Amino acid sequence: MPIDAAFDIISFTSFVVLVVLGLGVIASMMGIFNLGHGDFVLLGAYTVFVFDELGLPIWLGMTVAPFAVALVGLVLERTVIRRFYAAPVIAMLGTYAIGVVIRETVRGLIGGLYHAIPEPLPGMIDIGEISISKWRLTVILITILVVLVSYLLLRRTTLGLKIRASLENPALARSAAISTGQIYALTFAFGCGLAGLAGALMVPAFSLSADLGVRFLIQAFLAIMLGGIGTFEGPIGGAALIGASTAAFPWVMNPILADIMVFVLAIVAIRLRPTGLFTKRRL
Amino acid sequence: MSERESANGGWEVLPRRRFLSSTAWTAGAVATGLGSWVVPAKWASAADPIKVGIATDLTGAIGIAGNACANTARMMVEDINAAGGVIGRPLELYIEDTASNESVAVNNVRKLVQRHRVDVVLGGITSSMRNAIKDVIVNRGRTLYIYPQLYEGRECTPYLFCTGPTPAQQCDALIPWLMADGAKRFAFPSANYIWPHRLNEYARKVVEANGGEVVFEEYYPLDQIEYSATVSKIMNENIDIVFFTVIPPGLAPFVKQVYEAGYQQRGGRLSCVYYDENLLNFHPPHEMEGLVSCLDYFRAISDGGEHQFSADLHARYDAKFPDGPGFAAGSAATGIYRGLKMWEAAVNEAGNLERDDVAAAIDHAKIENGPGGGSEMVPGTYHCRMNMYIAVCKSGRYEIAQQSDGMVEPGECA
Repeated sequence: MPIDAAFDIISFTSFVVLVVLGLGVIASMMGIFNLGHGDFVLLGAYTVFVFDELGLPIWLGMTVAPFAVALVGLVLERTVIRRFYAAPVIAMLGTYAIGVVIRETVRGLIGGLYHAIPEPLPGMIDIGEISISKWRLTVILITILVVLVSYLLLRRTTLGLKIRASLENPALARSAAISTGQIYALTFAFGCGLAGLAGALMVPAFSLSADLGVRFLIQAFLAIMLGGIGTFEGPIGGAALIGASTAAFPWVMNPILADIMVFVLAIVAIRLRPTGLFTKRRL
Repeated sequence: MSERESANGGWEVLPRRRFLSSTAWTAGAVATGLGSWVVPAKWASAADPIKVGIATDLTGAIGIAGNACANTARMMVEDINAAGGVIGRPLELYIEDTASNESVAVNNVRKLVQRHRVDVVLGGITSSMRNAIKDVIVNRGRTLYIYPQLYEGRECTPYLFCTGPTPAQQCDALIPWLMADGAKRFAFPSANYIWPHRLNEYARKVVEANGGEVVFEEYYPLDQIEYSATVSKIMNENIDIVFFTVIPPGLAPFVKQVYEAGYQQRGGRLSCVYYDENLLNFHPPHEMEGLVSCLDYFRAISDGGEHQFSADLHARYDAKFPDGPGFAAGSAATGIYRGLKMWEAAVNEAGNLERDDVAAAIDHAKIENGPGGGSEMVPGTYHCRMNMYIAVCKSGRYEIAQQSDGMVEPGECA
């Protein structure tokens, strides 16, 4: 029993980490809280649904989804989001509004119905007494890979350096011939692409409905507050803690109480470490 | 970001003319009441139509059920008008969105009752919605209210008639049927709100009266989507029947996790009494295989051919609304049908639209035919007798497993 519990907890944590990754990149690198993030997750899931409807392979949809959503993010950044950089509070409202438009449009497109999407890797692996979902195992592995690649991209490449420079000191970055406008656009598109990937990977486990992304949004924000803004590992660490405690608490207490406990503990942690639990060094 | 943008906070100054024109447009929209859907009667000479209000969740999380209700009402009003209307007057349909949100709903329903002065309101899907809007309609609005959805019972408010199934109608036959092959150990995983609490209270009595045992009854936050702890308990406690009332968004992951744990493989059964055809897409068919539901209508009855009336009705609905939610009992569409037909019969009997006269007539209203068969109001109880069907999911469709022997008593407000 402890093994299947551990697997389920890690598996759910992976979904939360995937969602938070994109949100965290945009929040940390651009200082924008993207309240429409859950709906970019939904767009990723919807892309997979479209592929399934057209009779194309699911895995192809999952490959295309992050790029399709990144493209939508890029267009939105160039047309709408860039006007908000000077006013972060208005940016929150603006991204929220964009999110509502996306959500209600998708709701219309799917007829308000729920749709099951089959896993590209169906079935279970039986290990002794317990059975483990192949798809959930795949998601865990992809999550580890995506986190590693994103980390290396932001920390070890020239592009990553430019992104960090644009965050630290935009004026100096501009005078060093870095086009901060372009960098912001790329960063936003990258964050949206990660959201699209999260949506594409989670939709077989949770089914497609217009409210798919909203469920994760509050948890994702809590994770970022808990982990701390401004670093790469902060939001990821926060996501791991929130995801693991959300999945683990119902094993030991009443589920209603467990739901509240996650928030209570997060608030206590934020009170004790207001800048976040993982904010020793900047990326 | 450039200097110019940050100088005015990132906003371009809105030109005054554009501001004036958009303000005028907004004011006009507010004044003319953008947001209600009015389906006017088509009779050219109709000087004095009867106003029927539909308040249902066209948008939001349960928009699927709301649109099924609104579509059913649209089709029926058209049919009633084509047949000469009610007491010689045509019906005019006013549809308001309750948006799966009680505070939005109260304002929109007030609009129906106070501005449009409708003669009857049908709608509300969830119990919280019914509780939020019933006072606006029945007490302050002095209007008749018909609630169409299956629910937890105990709503005994004068002028409020319930036309969906009650716990007695859904559980009394279903639970003994589930236990017929010797299954005794039940689990009640449930969403934490009023309907599951009261339904479980009733279902537990039926289980225990039949010699079964509820091994655990557990409530989850409405948006919980991770159920590994529950699934592990279901597997370790050797549960025979999972009688669940979990709702979306947790529904899909719950059923998937139960399936992936191998519960059905080792002979376990799932049962949930709001499952209808609109939920068939919700899970891959193999995860739903063997799931048992109990409702007042399933499409399988029409397909079977013995209920020609239901089949014609369903075919007409499908032709009129080929996309979107279907005509299904768990989405309250059948409750809307019964409600509107009983109200029509009552107004024809009363000969006028006075609330007391119509309510007195609805109190003993009967309809000969409807989806799943006829139904009748049990006088003095605000609830209906109706036929009930137990259906089992097989390869992504429902098959009727048992049909009630005549109409089933609602067992409420007696």
